[in-house]
Amino acid sequence: MAELEWKPLWNDWCPGCGNFGILNAEQLAIQELGLDTKKLVIVSGIGCSGKTPHFFRIPITGVHTLHGRAITFATGIKLSNPSLTVIVNGGDGDLLGIGVGHFVSVGRRNVSLTVILHNNGVYGLTKGQASPTLKRGLKTKSLPRPNINDDVNPITLAISSGYTFVARGYAYDVKHLKELMKMAFSRKGLSLIEVLQPCPTYNDIFTKEYFDKRVYKLDNLPDWDPVVRREEEKGEKMSKAILKSMEWGERIPIGVFYRNDLVPSFEERIAESAKSYKEVIPAKARIEANGSPTTIIEDILKEKEV
Amino acid sequence: MRISWMIGGAQGSGIDTSANVFGNALASLGFYIYGNREYYSNIKGRHSYFNLTISDVRARSISNKVDILASFDAETVFHHFTDVTRIAIYNTDVVNTSLYNVQSIEPEVAERVGKLLEEKGLEKSVSGALKYMESNGVKLIPVNYDEVTKEVAAKLKVPLSVAERAKNTTAIAVSYALLGLPKENLTRAIERTFKQETFLKLNEIAVETVFSLVRPEFSLPIPGKAKRRIQVDGNTAVAMGKIYGGLEFQSYYPITPASDESTYIEAHQEVWYEDPKTGDKRKRTIVVVQAEDELAAINMATAAALTGARSATATSGPGFSLMAEGLGWAGMNEVPVVVTFYMRGGPSTGLPTRTSQADLKFALNVGHGEFPKIVIASGDHVEAFQDAVLAFNLAEKYQTPVIHLVEKALANAYSIIDVEELGLEKIKIDRGKLITPSDHFYQRFAFTEDGISPRAVLGDAFMYYTGDEHNVLGHISEEPVNRTKMYQKRMKKLETADREIPEEERIKLFGEDSRVAVITWGSPKGAVLDAIDELERRGGLKVQVIQLRIFSPFPSRLLKKLLEDKEVIIDVEGNYEGQAGEIVKEKTGIEPTHYVLKWNGRPMARDEVEEGLLKALNGERRVVLNGGA
Repeated sequence: MAELEWKPLWNDWCPGCGNFGILNAEQLAIQELGLDTKKLVIVSGIGCSGKTPHFFRIPITGVHTLHGRAITFATGIKLSNPSLTVIVNGGDGDLLGIGVGHFVSVGRRNVSLTVILHNNGVYGLTKGQASPTLKRGLKTKSLPRPNINDDVNPITLAISSGYTFVARGYAYDVKHLKELMKMAFSRKGLSLIEVLQPCPTYNDIFTKEYFDKRVYKLDNLPDWDPVVRREEEKGEKMSKAILKSMEWGERIPIGVFYRNDLVPSFEERIAESAKSYKEVIPAKARIEANGSPTTIIEDILKEKEV
Repeated sequence: MRISWMIGGAQGSGIDTSANVFGNALASLGFYIYGNREYYSNIKGRHSYFNLTISDVRARSISNKVDILASFDAETVFHHFTDVTRIAIYNTDVVNTSLYNVQSIEPEVAERVGKLLEEKGLEKSVSGALKYMESNGVKLIPVNYDEVTKEVAAKLKVPLSVAERAKNTTAIAVSYALLGLPKENLTRAIERTFKQETFLKLNEIAVETVFSLVRPEFSLPIPGKAKRRIQVDGNTAVAMGKIYGGLEFQSYYPITPASDESTYIEAHQEVWYEDPKTGDKRKRTIVVVQAEDELAAINMATAAALTGARSATATSGPGFSLMAEGLGWAGMNEVPVVVTFYMRGGPSTGLPTRTSQADLKFALNVGHGEFPKIVIASGDHVEAFQDAVLAFNLAEKYQTPVIHLVEKALANAYSIIDVEELGLEKIKIDRGKLITPSDHFYQRFAFTEDGISPRAVLGDAFMYYTGDEHNVLGHISEEPVNRTKMYQKRMKKLETADREIPEEERIKLFGEDSRVAVITWGSPKGAVLDAIDELERRGGLKVQVIQLRIFSPFPSRLLKKLLEDKEVIIDVEGNYEGQAGEIVKEKTGIEPTHYVLKWNGRPMARDEVEEGLLKALNGERRVVLNGGA
């Protein structure tokens, strides 16, 4: 095989796109954590955010999938080879519109993945239609009339779906976003990071100027403690986080809303009934030797013997 | 020797278990069995039945005409009395039950049966149906199930409601006693099935009671058993094949008649294997995920395949419709993923628990755009097992999705087979161009002569995948020259497969070259072969049966050669359009001269196929079968 020299691609996002901040934070988090990039898989859906893996400026492995389905692919990758670190990059239309069923369902499983939700309120690549997070009554510049759908709150939805780490970052606060990502990338269980992401081309409401003066850090609140440390605290911490997620207007909170490391990950749940799951990575099991199966089905045949 | 037996009763009343006990007892004596289960899309209450063929040689089909009918309710009698040829076991308690008092019977059945009984001047009740059978020379065996229940209750000191559950066993015990077979084998089969002590005793007492009352009607020579045998249904055969073939990941969404396969694998999620490095016997885990829908199921399996796991999903028509999107991605990204497609009656929800062969063209054409798919169709339980391994081998060799077609008629039917038929020691595993690159950087979609690129897995090198058209690295590319080349590279793999997979393995031939050929595929195979044996035995007619096994890549050259000199070509399949026939015409330019088709949701039985073939041979160009209740 010819020696290949890896070089980054030219990035075709619009100038000023919030995706740049997200990508920068993601790369920094990976590098600062010292993650083995060969064991790292970035999975994306469709839309502007879907191109994220192609635009990494360090070599990684990228799986650019189908509209709304990134989470399902990420699940398959993680469960068949739990030694990989798997990150999902998806848009609000992707994860909360066409893919909302998967967004909710993966919460029930608590698979060890990080879902990064690029939230810009619009479908950018198809020219600015309203996304599921755009509030009713708003009319961004490419909408022919004000939006008549209510919005989905990603933080509320994630908490009630079972995500065990739920946070919000802001695309233009790369340092803060990177810290959230570092927390998510280095834990077991399912994490959501919603990122407020201005779309300079199609969303003339939620702009950088709009967010800059409104976002504040939950960390700066004197009594904010989103971490569930005992099972009994779960209900209270969840309620507080959900209540906090409703705050939107003059002040918009960013930071960790909810964290519960007491819930077993899906990998741990599998290993509970299948001990060998921890010892042999399914994707790496030697299923053949010299062209013949290594699997022994004697017991299985015996069960069916007549 | 061949006997056809049927038991019927309300869904959820234990018909399945009883039919299995009966089958087990017979199998232990060395009889072969082929059995089919029919049931409504219902949990409890609607009519279900089991149709078995018992034989001293390998059985491979059912017959619509049954020698023995075992019943304990009125509905079973109404559904099946016209199909009984020798013996009908009925419950003395339901003799006076009127056709119109059976609430669960479908109005169309009631109307048809009512009309028939009226025409014959018979009462529209069980007694009318019994008279009908009697006038056809059927021997009636009355069973007072209540008496047996009372006796069981008294002996065991349990309430009647508990003892009632021995009804099924009573019905099979009467059948078994009529066959004149040794009681011990039935008792042993009961012991194998019922682990709970009360149920075990209950059933044993029922057997004792029956044996003291019933005189044998048959004296069957007991074949005895020289070879190791197993009893497998289609779902289990595929599951076992997948496991043996190295399955490591299976995702699914519950759907009839596919989910039993996944449930079986989940119950056997840890399997033993011999570690080739150390020679040690170790356990490995097959990850089974019940997904939220079929979109997730196919994508999880596809993604797992990217990590190097042998991955599959199992579904039926409605689920396969949803998988179209994911299969396109797998095709575009050259992913070896296997879909076991259990066909049932469509369109839409259709007949959820009944069989069909109407999705052949859908399987061949699934997804938008052009991409290679390999489509295999199993014709019996042994093939279902072997094809499950073959599907993985072809998927990995040609790095493209493989669709393995099985039908409800095989999924829920079972065969007794000799273990040696599985050919375990001959089964090979071919992982194709699977590599571990020495370099970090790697071209997943490198151009090659045969279209197949060396495949590394996630975690072993840096690589990119995308559903967009891409360059050799897997990055998005809309450039026209690359598009032409990359498209061609993907499609070329099917040409390579067509060159490499021997056509003789894609077609199975039965019988010698003759002027008459029968083309068939999938589950009708057994019925067709049995029907032709019968026709040949009776009239010396020579027929060559051509079973189509792999539809893509299609064995065009060999098939054309086989069909060129045929005067009569009869296409037998389970759909309206004669889909395989149309494909044969498209690929070889030769059209079947006659069709024997069926789409009523019931499997093809050997007797109706025999009749159908005779009609076709007498010039009827399109024969439509409608057997089965």
